[in-house]
Amino acid sequence: MKIDRRGFLSLGVGAAAGIVVTPLPWKLTDDLSIWTQNWPWTPVPADGEKAYAKSVCSLCPGGCGISVRKVEDRAIKIEGIEGHPVNDGGICILGLSGLQTLYGPTRVKQPLMRSGNRGEGRWQKVDWDTALAEITKRLAEIRKAGQAHTVACVAGSDQGTVPQLLKRFLAAYGSSNFIRTPSIRDSYELAFKTMQGSEASAGFDLFNSDFVLSFGSGVIEGWGSPVYMFRANSELRGKGKIVQIEPRLSNTAAKSDKWVPINPGTEAVLALGLAHEIIKESLYNKEFVEKYAAGFESWEDAKGQKQKGFKDWVLENYWPASVANITGVKPAVIHELAVSFAKASKPVALCGRGQGNTPVSLFESMAIHALNALVGNINQKGGISAVPFADYINWPKAPADAVAEAGLQQPRIDGAQSDPFASRYLLNRVVNAAESGKPYALQALLVWEADPIYTLSGSAAVKAAFDKIPFVVSFSSHMNETAQYADLILPDHFYLERYQDIPTPLGMAVPSISLSRPVVKPQFDTKYTGDVLIQVAKGIGGNLAEAMPWKDYEQCLKETLGDHWDKLNAKGMLIAEQYQPPAWDKAFKTASGKFEFCALTAIGETVSIEGDKESYPLTLIPYDSMRLANGFIGDPPFVIKTVSDRILKKKDIFVEINPETAKQYGLADGKSAVLETPRGSARVRVNVFEGIVPGVIAMPRGLGHKAYDKFLAGKGLNVNEFIGSVEDPVSGLDAAWGIRAKLTIA
Amino acid sequence: MKNEQGHHKTGKKYGMVIDLDKCTGCGACMVACMAENNVPFKEDETNKLDNIMWMRVYRMSNGKPFPDADICYIPRPCMHCEAKHGHSPCVSVCPATATDYSHETGIVSQIYTRCFGCRYCMAACPYHARYFNWWDPVWPEGMKNYLSPDVSPRMRGVVEKCSFCFHRYQLAKDKALTAGHREIEESAYQTACTQACPAGAITFGDLDNPKHAVYKLKHDPRAFRLLERLGTNPKVYYVTDREWVRWMADNYQDQEQKAKG
Amino acid sequence: MDDSALIPKGVKRCPFRQFALWIGIAGIVLLWGVYAMFLCWFKGLNQTNMNDAYGFALWIWADLAVIAVGGGAFFSGFLRYLVGKDELKNIINYAVLIGFICYSSALLILAIDVGQPLRAWFIFWHANVHSMLTEVAFCLSCYFAVLTIEYIPLILENRQINKVPFFHNLAHNMHEIMAIFAATGAFLSFFHQGSLGGVAGVLFGRPFSYREGVLIWPWAFFLFTWSAAAYGPCFTILITKITEVITGKKLVKDNVIELLAKISGWMIITYTAAKLIDTIYWAAVTAPSMGFTIDHFFGTSIYGIWILGAELILGGIAPGLILISEKGRKSPFGLWVAVIFGVIGVSLNRWVMVLQTMAVPVLPFEEWYLYIPSWQEVATTVLPVAYGVILIMISYRYMPIFPQEQELNPID
Ligand SMILES: Nc1nc2c(c(=O)[nH]1)N[C@H]1C(S)=C(S)[C@@H](COP(=O)(O)OP(=O)(O)OC[C@H]3O[C@@H](n4cnc5c(=O)[nH]c(N)nc54)[C@H](O)[C@@H]3O)O[C@H]1N2
Ligand SMILES: Nc1nc2c(c(=O)[nH]1)N[C@H]1C(S)=C(S)[C@@H](COP(=O)(O)OP(=O)(O)OC[C@H]3O[C@@H](n4cnc5c(=O)[nH]c(N)nc54)[C@H](O)[C@@H]3O)O[C@H]1N2
Ligand code: SF4
Ligand code: SF4
Ligand code: SF4
Ligand code: SF4
Ligand code: SF4
Ligand SMILES: [Mo]
Repeated sequence: MKIDRRGFLSLGVGAAAGIVVTPLPWKLTDDLSIWTQNWPWTPVPADGEKAYAKSVCSLCPGGCGISVRKVEDRAIKIEGIEGHPVNDGGICILGLSGLQTLYGPTRVKQPLMRSGNRGEGRWQKVDWDTALAEITKRLAEIRKAGQAHTVACVAGSDQGTVPQLLKRFLAAYGSSNFIRTPSIRDSYELAFKTMQGSEASAGFDLFNSDFVLSFGSGVIEGWGSPVYMFRANSELRGKGKIVQIEPRLSNTAAKSDKWVPINPGTEAVLALGLAHEIIKESLYNKEFVEKYAAGFESWEDAKGQKQKGFKDWVLENYWPASVANITGVKPAVIHELAVSFAKASKPVALCGRGQGNTPVSLFESMAIHALNALVGNINQKGGISAVPFADYINWPKAPADAVAEAGLQQPRIDGAQSDPFASRYLLNRVVNAAESGKPYALQALLVWEADPIYTLSGSAAVKAAFDKIPFVVSFSSHMNETAQYADLILPDHFYLERYQDIPTPLGMAVPSISLSRPVVKPQFDTKYTGDVLIQVAKGIGGNLAEAMPWKDYEQCLKETLGDHWDKLNAKGMLIAEQYQPPAWDKAFKTASGKFEFCALTAIGETVSIEGDKESYPLTLIPYDSMRLANGFIGDPPFVIKTVSDRILKKKDIFVEINPETAKQYGLADGKSAVLETPRGSARVRVNVFEGIVPGVIAMPRGLGHKAYDKFLAGKGLNVNEFIGSVEDPVSGLDAAWGIRAKLTIA
Repeated sequence: MKNEQGHHKTGKKYGMVIDLDKCTGCGACMVACMAENNVPFKEDETNKLDNIMWMRVYRMSNGKPFPDADICYIPRPCMHCEAKHGHSPCVSVCPATATDYSHETGIVSQIYTRCFGCRYCMAACPYHARYFNWWDPVWPEGMKNYLSPDVSPRMRGVVEKCSFCFHRYQLAKDKALTAGHREIEESAYQTACTQACPAGAITFGDLDNPKHAVYKLKHDPRAFRLLERLGTNPKVYYVTDREWVRWMADNYQDQEQKAKG
Repeated sequence: MDDSALIPKGVKRCPFRQFALWIGIAGIVLLWGVYAMFLCWFKGLNQTNMNDAYGFALWIWADLAVIAVGGGAFFSGFLRYLVGKDELKNIINYAVLIGFICYSSALLILAIDVGQPLRAWFIFWHANVHSMLTEVAFCLSCYFAVLTIEYIPLILENRQINKVPFFHNLAHNMHEIMAIFAATGAFLSFFHQGSLGGVAGVLFGRPFSYREGVLIWPWAFFLFTWSAAAYGPCFTILITKITEVITGKKLVKDNVIELLAKISGWMIITYTAAKLIDTIYWAAVTAPSMGFTIDHFFGTSIYGIWILGAELILGGIAPGLILISEKGRKSPFGLWVAVIFGVIGVSLNRWVMVLQTMAVPVLPFEEWYLYIPSWQEVATTVLPVAYGVILIMISYRYMPIFPQEQELNPID
């Protein structure tokens, strides 16, 4: 066959046209591309009727109003409620991630009974009847054996109907061992009690302050009611000053008008150094100090002995030069700070490091509170006030039978409330008590909205103590460390599935009640802890059944809230709008009827930490971050995703260290090192950071979980494992603010 | 092009002003965005070069030694740049028109089903606002429950980025139409990050509308934009009192700072 | 097996067994690459070490580099058919073959590199005319078609195929109109070589690569075309020389090589001068106006200023000077050094335009990141090399690639 040019060209064109005309290749190409746009393994969320359900977030004590967007019966997004008194539309990183926990794999989906060793993670799934029969049987046995007092309960709060039901259950059962998890609340409550004679929680009117002097309080790190404080912080911009006193350039320090680096643990000394300057310069509020305060001037007591007043005590002991020596803050800075604080029109001093999840020594909280008294801002606009606890729970006293009477005669396991300076709850002491069996051996522990195994300092000791308790019950709705270590888990509904009353959020200056309402129906086979208590009480019978007369928890809540119920259902939050903190002449319930400076001079010194300087030349302090939840709930996947790679890289945690100190120990940025404290040692990585006092190293709190899912478990270290508890000899609280440490090249 | 959508056209220029002095670095905006826009997550997210974060909060430091060290957080959504020719750096480079500049809203959109994953747009974006789906998105057991039908989850191999929560614009537009309004109220269209920010640091609205808060804020003498000198003309402004942040944000060298100020 | 019937008349080839062994070895490397390629397709680009900071990496570099060195095809075609340098007909076949290998490799790499290969054709269907990549895609595909058309007659000239009258005539006809294709190819190449430069050059968010220019084309556009024309012939010469070493035969006469070398030398010299001016203007004017100083761009030991020096001096001035001097290009050592340095130089340039563009921190709070390719990326990048070796082996064995071979290697 011979082809000429014409033939050649027509052949070419023909072939080209042929291919184009055949639909097959085009159709296939198109189909394939469409397939890639609809891969069956990429989910297509179902659409449907949209609605918003309002509630209150209770993942922390913040009490934010939330509005949950729903499609049919699925919750798809949590948002803040605009105009809500706490958060006004804003919402924190954890609150935003609530749905990941609600639906995620860390939920405890039904009652579980331990089948392996403690903490091994082997469980037998049981139904509620079996689970309730088990707890009823165990508690009935203990009671029958005359050991009612050896049952204790740990709860994340002592306010609201569930904690009160727990407390009531224990009382009727025969135990006074209701214990709240420790926090800065304890320190504030104790300072109020000793200096003002009031049982109250602390309220701050930061929105109206013009000078916030924060002794390490992470105003924008989750201290108090987090979103409320964020808003206050923003509101203060341009209107007032914030001075942050802290060993480390925290976010709060960075955003403040002035960062005053300080040697860790010396905050109380600095506070008194400031008091010295304020008194010396005669800048204190004369009206308050002279008319409404006691123990300021030295006096002669009834026996005619000369007693040193606060003024002379401070003037003698807290000279700027010596304070500077201890705190590392220059005398000129102390002076300047004192003057500007005292001269501000609405100054306020705050205490509680970071998020305030650990208490401070009573000496420290009193010293800082004394500053507030000196400038006369107690119960004033822009100041601090003692907010009375909400009083809507008015149940008649729980009936006690002989066993209960006998049990309640026994001392508390933690020795709390034993003297005027002792804290109301001392969870840290339960560790020793359980370990030593003194004053008696604990037979059972109930844990509600708390994760002591993770959150208490000296985790190893806490675990050892738990090992001595034969029966540990967790009510957790997700698998946290303590749930993992329990014998029986009776999962509560998660916060989005239940009703719950939430009293005044921490730090708000006006008493209030909020009501969480179910946003979705319970997703799993869970049960109100209130219902568990009512049913167990009925099961044991007698006075316990009488003490819990309600049909179920919802009825209990409805009756308790009475008139408030409907209003709360409509509005979500009720605020005592008319509430005004009492005037100075009526504010103080102390023996003198005045604010008592003398309470401070009567007690000891700052609390020092564990470890000797020779073996451990550095000081390790923990720090808090909004991006690391460190309470009874850990970071959901969204939140851990936001953690910086200067904090966590793969599974390695970083500790911050000043470049000078790093150089001294031959440590380079990003490199591995071995951290050693008297409590343990582990490999870490080094984050050389200009924003930290030389000689101090800082580790974030909230990592190193062993429970939870692969998104959180096994990442980094739990700083609490490396810090030992140090008891404040006055209050009994664990006031450890760090530990001595060593960091060497790995 | 689809830009001149005749009968849809209203010519808005949505943008943000972020107050860096209020911003706490808390990261709520990042999570608000992930929750709103069905952004997936992986077991290990510590490699920040392969993790999808439409809104990313960066940390700047002034580089000074202790105790003069200072840090500042800087939240970075997509800047919705409108550079020369009314295009952003990324829109003009996309060979498949999978990303588009809307002259109706000023929003730079991304069509996941059109994108074929060449990543040229990522090379073009100086803000690292674009993210590639290196993996198939996988949600653990149960978590698919919270996925929103308003935003389609993306498949592996495509680029995604902040859309200024465009679906919220559409909802607001529909609502306004149903209610018979011509204008979308300022409050009717707010992005998820703006709404969530607990510090109230983010303000969102029509930069050209004198009635919107952003209009006034962007004229604040302390306002600036990131890398302004590249000519990207971003629609995200920042405000701060801190001079070092303003200088650094546009890579002003020491000598330039001296010359200028 | 005896394949002598397929081997062109008048030339000698190694025994089939030896040929098969080498094909087998190259084949194993090829299969390794194919395995990696399927991993990337089925599991996705997470198989690579690319990331959001290095969205373009080894592959795009390989793409740009093979296209640059593949420029020998269009430029020789341009010189032969349009400028009328007739001697070059003795190397044009090989230049076309090398070009074909380079361009097919480039397309293959692109098909692995994109996240959604099955919809890669959207680049044509939803084309955005403003995008340099669109320009690249269109010109690249068209030019590949041209190269295919240029390569087909070579296949048809195989002894057995050519016996079929249809193929014989087809080949003849195609040869006749080859000038048109060569011209089209040259035209297309001017554009796509340039648009590859444009790809980085238009990125005004990347002050390291951004260049001012004329109309829509940044200077990088012209520099790329120029450098491809300058260094493409170096690569053609290099591969020819390597082939000669391996086959142990002289395949192209010295005057042909020297002509190509000389032209290449002058192109390199002028290109380097232009590049120098461009660099100085960029360093003194463009970059500072965007807030950057030159030292900002060379921040780490890997991305140090040495790269710029190496590119300009070792990859530019040195080979340029050698090739323009008669003594230089006539000395075998000089020629080897010049073409090797030249090829390394242009590859380095493409590396810098891809990798350093991404690596230079632009945001003030960013750091330098390093990138080390994964084995999957390396394997898929080696794949085209193996494929090229195999194609060259087959083509050389069965097709009359070198018109002067018979004359230079008479069989007794
Ligand atoms: N640039 C651009 N152009 C587009 C499109 C785009 O996306 N971008 N979209 C295209 C599409 S999909 C469409 S459907 C068209 C729509 O384009 P048009 O058909 O032009 O739509 P409208 O302008 O919405 O409505 C037309 C007119 O009908 C009037 N009208 C309303 N009700 C009635 C009635 O009962 N009787 C009478 N007689 N008049 C009535 C309205 O007041 C209005 O003036 O636009 C197309 N054009
Ligand atoms: N408010 C308002 N609503 C209207 C109308 C109106 O005038 N005003 N008009 C009505 C009318 S007539 C019509 S036809 C509809 C149109 O309604 P839609 O189809 O929803 O409108 P568009 O905005 O034109 O396109 C939708 C989206 O598709 C994207 N897109 C573009 N090309 C592609 C592609 O190839 N693949 C994919 N996956 N996405 C692509 C666009 O970027 C855009 O985000 O709207 C109706 N609704
Ligand atoms: S601050 Fe606390 S209450 Fe408010 S949203 Fe966050 S976790 Fe919930
Ligand atoms: S949510 Fe607001 S305060 Fe928090 S990081 Fe984002 S912008 Fe800053
Ligand atoms: S910030 Fe980046 S992704 Fe967003 S419009 Fe600008 S260039 Fe595009
Ligand atoms: S990755 Fe997608 S959006 Fe980006 S340039 Fe390529 S096709 Fe366009
Ligand atoms: S505007 Fe919407 S999409 Fe963009 S960062 Fe904010 S929440 Fe994410
Ligand atoms: Mo339409």
